[in-house]
Amino acid sequence: MASPKAPAGHFSILYFASASTFTNKTSEYLSAPVEARGLFSKLEELYPGINDKVLNSCAVTVNLSYIEIDGDEAPDLKIVIKEGDEVAIIPPVSSG
Amino acid sequence: MASGTVIRSLRQQIASCESQLHDLKRQLAEVEHQSQQQRTNRASEQGVHTRDDPLAHDFSHGIHDDFKSEVLAALAQSEETAPPQRRWPLEANEYKRYGRQLIMPEIGLQGQLRLKTASVLIVGVGGLGCPAAAYLVGAGVGKVGLVDGDTVEESNLHRQILHSTAKVNMTKVESAMIALHSLNPNVELVPHQGRLTPETALSTLQHYDIVLDCTDTPASRYLISDTCVLLGKPLVSASALRTDGQLMVLNNPPLPPGNTSGGPCYRCVFPKPPPAESVVTCGDGGILGPVVGTMGILQALEAIKVLTKQPSASSNDSAPADPPSLLIFSAYSNPMFRTIRLRTRKLKCAVCSAHATVTPEALNSGSMDYVQFCGTVDPVDALSSNERISAENYAKVRLDVNPFTGLEPSKDSHILVDVREKVQFDLCNLEGSVNVPFSAVTSLPVGGRNGTANESDPEAGWVSELRQHADKPIFVVCRRGNDSQITVKKMKELGLDNGGQRWIGDIRGGLHAWRDNVDKDFPEY
Repeated sequence: MASPKAPAGHFSILYFASASTFTNKTSEYLSAPVEARGLFSKLEELYPGINDKVLNSCAVTVNLSYIEIDGDEAPDLKIVIKEGDEVAIIPPVSSG
Repeated sequence: MASGTVIRSLRQQIASCESQLHDLKRQLAEVEHQSQQQRTNRASEQGVHTRDDPLAHDFSHGIHDDFKSEVLAALAQSEETAPPQRRWPLEANEYKRYGRQLIMPEIGLQGQLRLKTASVLIVGVGGLGCPAAAYLVGAGVGKVGLVDGDTVEESNLHRQILHSTAKVNMTKVESAMIALHSLNPNVELVPHQGRLTPETALSTLQHYDIVLDCTDTPASRYLISDTCVLLGKPLVSASALRTDGQLMVLNNPPLPPGNTSGGPCYRCVFPKPPPAESVVTCGDGGILGPVVGTMGILQALEAIKVLTKQPSASSNDSAPADPPSLLIFSAYSNPMFRTIRLRTRKLKCAVCSAHATVTPEALNSGSMDYVQFCGTVDPVDALSSNERISAENYAKVRLDVNPFTGLEPSKDSHILVDVREKVQFDLCNLEGSVNVPFSAVTSLPVGGRNGTANESDPEAGWVSELRQHADKPIFVVCRRGNDSQITVKKMKELGLDNGGQRWIGDIRGGLHAWRDNVDKDFPEY
């Protein structure tokens, strides 16, 4: 898990549950800055198919705060993910 | 079902009930003994005055009449109040039983009384529900309802701690009731046999103060959350898979839909269900006992916090609830716990916003189809019948002449590819089989032959390996017969069948069918 700070010019991204299964990673560093609205397309480029199979139903957080970027009118599309930020992709886990 | 198993199970249930009865009789004997002793003590105290002791002499002869009547009146009074008025709000045994939590300022007498008058509904008595119920019953919640439609299976026992070996095949509700009653007979337990449905949800949940979602499907999670919003009940929702867990206290405070001061609901956090084919069960993905146990225990903790919350000094309302959060538990990560700050209610939430479309009427009428909302996965049916072989016929291939190719029996006459993940392959496999994990199959780009992969890309090792033996038919097997079909399709897309010259097909029903129909000693897991 990417607890150490991201290298210069990067943010860290954490993948939980099915996001981790899909990317085969628990975390990585991606180049910053990036606007929240562009996050999913960037991930789709890296992991073709992840949008439909994982991201669509996920919660997304920046620095441990939930952001809403689902849909064209979502309130947080303009948030800029900066160098050193920590983003998390959190799919719903339903089993128990 | 072998009747022997039923007989054994019933015998064990009877033994369990008998030991419980024995325990109750012992408790009754103790209480009777105590009250007998108290009576004896009282009688002997009174006896002091009637026997020939010095005081009796003084009373009769030497003491002033006024004082004598005063003392006698006082004694007579204690006689009248013989069954004394209840002096303490809790029973004597409750002070002892709950003493360790009673002396904590977070609980105290008021907190314990709140627990005693509270009711909790636990939906799902499995890996989450068992530990949650144990701690809530242990803590002295007045009434606990249990909802489940399943029976206890052997594969449940490593994590579902209220169920025991003797209770395999018993309903989970019944099994949990026995364990919980012996843990704390003061708690009223209410069985709700069967799964929660949209038609039964409102009438089941309305009798409780707080609900714990301990279920295992997306559909039940939306149903329970929606119902809690409609009824104004706080909800403690948790889940777990493999080494990960999630926990949220939702609809807290439980204000009416449209009131933006109310806590968010499940739909606010996860408005869209995950695609049905991506949903992994504990049976397929695996689960570590302490991981799901941790989440269940945290649910009990959050429920206790909500139920014992002290009213704020300034107003009659309860103190403001903690800001909503999502706790993520990741057992093999560092740190293991992360707390995500959640938002308030979503402005356009379908249930808890002013624009709500989910209503009690819609729920009761059955017009809300949660299963459809979350999607269903049909068993894979991707192959034609001449691309499939039954487990029995494949057994003949290994021992007999191949019905498709006419080849003599031999393990070397064909290639058997097992597409279960390596950890499962290592548990048990058929002799001579080759492991190509399904994750390696699906991660291989399909467009390889259409020019999307450039020439410098080396072909995946297993693909070139299979190309080398172009004459041998390929049989693909997996656990239950779904992944094997998808693999056969993929192999043909990759051209491994040499334009139809080589037979590639799957073993219908997978190793499950192999065990059922060919080799009953093959391990079941």
